[in-house]
Amino acid sequence: MKQPYTPRPNSNRKFVGGYRPRIDAWEKARGKVEYADDITIKTRFPDMLYAKVLRSPHAHARIKNIDVSRAEQLPGVVAVMTYKDPEFTSFRPTNAGWTDGVDTVSYDKKMWADFNDRRVLGDYACWVTDEVGAVVAAESEEIADEAIRLINVQWEVLPFVLDPIDAMKPGAPLIHPDMTQTNVLPPEKMGGEDVFLDKGDVDADFAKAEVVVDGTSIHHNATQASLDNWCCLVDWTDEKLTLYSNSYEADQSRMHISEMLGLPLHKVNVISSYVGGQFGRGDTGEQPFFLFTAVLSKKTGRPVKFKHTRRESFHDSRQPAIYYGKVGAKKDGTITSMYFKSIGNTGAYADHSIFALKFAPLEISEVSFAHIPNVKLESYAVYTNKLPACMMRGVGNSQFNLIFGHMVDLLAEKLDMDPIDLCIKNFGHEWETLPNKSLVEVLNQGAEKIGWREKRNKPGQGLIYDKTKRRGVGFSLHPAWHAEWQEVRRGHIPISITLNPDGTVILNAPTVETGTGSNTCNVLGCSESLSFLGITPEMIHWNHVVNTDTSLKDCVQTDSAVSYLQSEVIATAVEEIKREIFERAEPVLKTKAKDMDIVDGRIFVKKNPDQGLTIKELLFQGDLVPIVVTRSRLANAEKTGVPYFANFAEVEVDTDTGKIDVLNLVVINDCGTVMFASGAEAQQVGGQVMGMGEALTEEIIYDELTGVPLNFNFIDYKIPTMADMPEIDPILLEIWKGAGEYGACGIGEGTLTCTPRAIMNAIYNAIGIRINDIPIKPEKILRALGKV
Amino acid sequence: MPKSSKGTKKNVATPSPDIKIKINGTWHNFELERDITPTMTLSYLLREKLGYTGLKVSCDEGGCGACTVIMDGKSVLSCMILAVETNGHEILTIEGLAKDDPIVEAFAEQCEPGYGTALQCGICTPGFVMSTRALLDENPVPTMAEVKEALSGHICRCGCYAGIAQAVTHASEKIAKKGEAS
Repeated sequence: MKQPYTPRPNSNRKFVGGYRPRIDAWEKARGKVEYADDITIKTRFPDMLYAKVLRSPHAHARIKNIDVSRAEQLPGVVAVMTYKDPEFTSFRPTNAGWTDGVDTVSYDKKMWADFNDRRVLGDYACWVTDEVGAVVAAESEEIADEAIRLINVQWEVLPFVLDPIDAMKPGAPLIHPDMTQTNVLPPEKMGGEDVFLDKGDVDADFAKAEVVVDGTSIHHNATQASLDNWCCLVDWTDEKLTLYSNSYEADQSRMHISEMLGLPLHKVNVISSYVGGQFGRGDTGEQPFFLFTAVLSKKTGRPVKFKHTRRESFHDSRQPAIYYGKVGAKKDGTITSMYFKSIGNTGAYADHSIFALKFAPLEISEVSFAHIPNVKLESYAVYTNKLPACMMRGVGNSQFNLIFGHMVDLLAEKLDMDPIDLCIKNFGHEWETLPNKSLVEVLNQGAEKIGWREKRNKPGQGLIYDKTKRRGVGFSLHPAWHAEWQEVRRGHIPISITLNPDGTVILNAPTVETGTGSNTCNVLGCSESLSFLGITPEMIHWNHVVNTDTSLKDCVQTDSAVSYLQSEVIATAVEEIKREIFERAEPVLKTKAKDMDIVDGRIFVKKNPDQGLTIKELLFQGDLVPIVVTRSRLANAEKTGVPYFANFAEVEVDTDTGKIDVLNLVVINDCGTVMFASGAEAQQVGGQVMGMGEALTEEIIYDELTGVPLNFNFIDYKIPTMADMPEIDPILLEIWKGAGEYGACGIGEGTLTCTPRAIMNAIYNAIGIRINDIPIKPEKILRALGKV
Repeated sequence: MPKSSKGTKKNVATPSPDIKIKINGTWHNFELERDITPTMTLSYLLREKLGYTGLKVSCDEGGCGACTVIMDGKSVLSCMILAVETNGHEILTIEGLAKDDPIVEAFAEQCEPGYGTALQCGICTPGFVMSTRALLDENPVPTMAEVKEALSGHICRCGCYAGIAQAVTHASEKIAKKGEAS
């Protein structure tokens, strides 16, 4: 039996922080939950058509000529449209990264306004499978597929480049020659210059530092692999457009469509239900396919559905990054300078590339390197003819942790110091003196759980098992994100609470539920806030469908912050609910509101507690109109810093076969406040599947001669299954606390961030050889050991 | 549209253009070409034609397990079976499980400290539930190694494997208890 976490002393919570099932667990276990693909089946939309788009067979090509006549003649084809049609030529150039999901933005306020490198439908393709040239709508998916095959295209095949270092060289094929004269993305306002942080003087410090280490790390473009392939149905058969989709940002989808199609917002209705996994995919929510599907619906006068196949779902990936790091320190372990430079393979379109390469590392340096006098960060995002890379769970942080944890391990070894002590000595945010309490506790708890002191060897001196296997342990540490002060950009966060006459509650805390469990957090937060009414989670109904015609603005599942943000707003709505209850009770109890109180659902006169009635008695006396309170507010901007989290790994490496067995993973998160323990532990445990996959088995492989991706499927792209996963120990802590009632912090997104580096450091501890490019497949181990 | 013919016995001896499939206890008759084309998969028939959307089609090539249903007591990938192949056979989808099915209960209730829940986004869950059902029907008290072996054809991208393994253990205990009670 594993132990529950230890709540902060005297927290006295009734519901928040509990171990319990998710609120949607029964519906999900019974298969009753409907995802976009379930809602948009033919039996529900009998006259719907299926859309398909032409995809480039070449890594880099332009359409010289296109002939769609054979496709048009195929029975069952209702419309074929090409890039030459005025519906498409009139679109403004765009990108698929208007927002990271935190805020809703218009065309002019796009996060990466300088990179309008996508066309809704153009004549130019810059990676194999790029959407280009023509779209069709047909009576069935098979007919639509066949129609696409019948389109005759004369391609002007262009030279291509896959490697970012090659793409930076003079004379390399230009990916977007109409926009830039180099493949390196130019500096812009959000990410800043190529050198986007230059504090103190790292070069001068390296020259005089007592100890200097340097090294590299390489992170690849893993894919989010949500099982819920992206799909949408657009009904634009009259002046109003309705979109059903599994995009996770309903309000932003409405803005995107409104802005690109020139429709007023009240003529666009976006309906989003549950999403079957998100993991960052939705951050590129301004996808051209929403628009060409809409155009096809308008053209045909029928609802049109577009759905990615599994192969097509590999259209978005983690930003690969080659990092170089250099760290200078005193002999006592005081770090005096840190320098990190990255080159990122952006792929065909910029999207959120800069977010991963600059935005995230800058944030990490602010909260963790505040006490280090010299810090320099430099980055180059480079277009190539590979699939676009940008947002995936732990965006930018996973790549940065790979080099950060490497530098920590390298430096500690050179100083003959425990890397735990090195972290405690150096890292923390600017609002606190060192050592950082959260960091200390996270590392100590992790070390105890994994057995750090007993199991940590001298590198390569691990005990030998079964003649050829060596074991080792390693860890990596990272600052958490996001605390409430980091969420101000979100703007007002609205919620509404309906208190029914029978004392039950309808909670409108809109968000597109992608599996994170924030819905359960909100119901627990709501019951906690309304516990004076005697309300329990079972008495609350949470509305799961976001319908932009009738819902409040949705709080987007990004930054792992929805788990507490809406609960904080709910907590501030309580006084308003009390005020309304007292107002209704005044004529009944013939007492002024200030002289009343409510405990456990009973309203009574303070001076004479016997004089009172239950909330149900009160509301049933009147007009049976529910009490409705709607509240919205900005996130609390009080700067409270962030907590820490870490992963510890124990591995066994077979030096004969190169096989790596991860024996144990420990995941430690300081949450500020645990909102929903079972959900938080599910995120901690669950994140390891993605983290371990990225570290050991997941990898997109291209044919270097053609640029054709070879494994866009679940057979050859190896996601860990139940048989692959080791024992995982999740540890939840409440050390740090943010502003607000709960002062919680997002944890879900980060739980995989440290996993690859923790495993890599453990491998080094086991066999004494550092392999710094993931995934670490057996052949890399054998090569490093000189056995192949 | 398919006609439901409750209680009709399958009759493989008489050649017939009709295809008969027993789905969740009820025989359905289909006409070839009109209802079922030769290339139609079982997953397509069940989801798109009959509205059994509990099973999910994610990879459509046998790589993820989300479309798992039970055919004649064995778990099968409905995206890898042609609808015509199921003529005369018995199919159970998640919609056919009882409301108080112990496996559904165990997956829904899983929340004990240290393992997380057995589901998050829930899209893979019906597949896992159906494979668990087939496993426990055949092997009511599986070892952890047997559980992992039986469910390793399923992907849960949210990564709830630890919670799922616990849920399977609890389901096994529930079934044993029900057996004792009856």
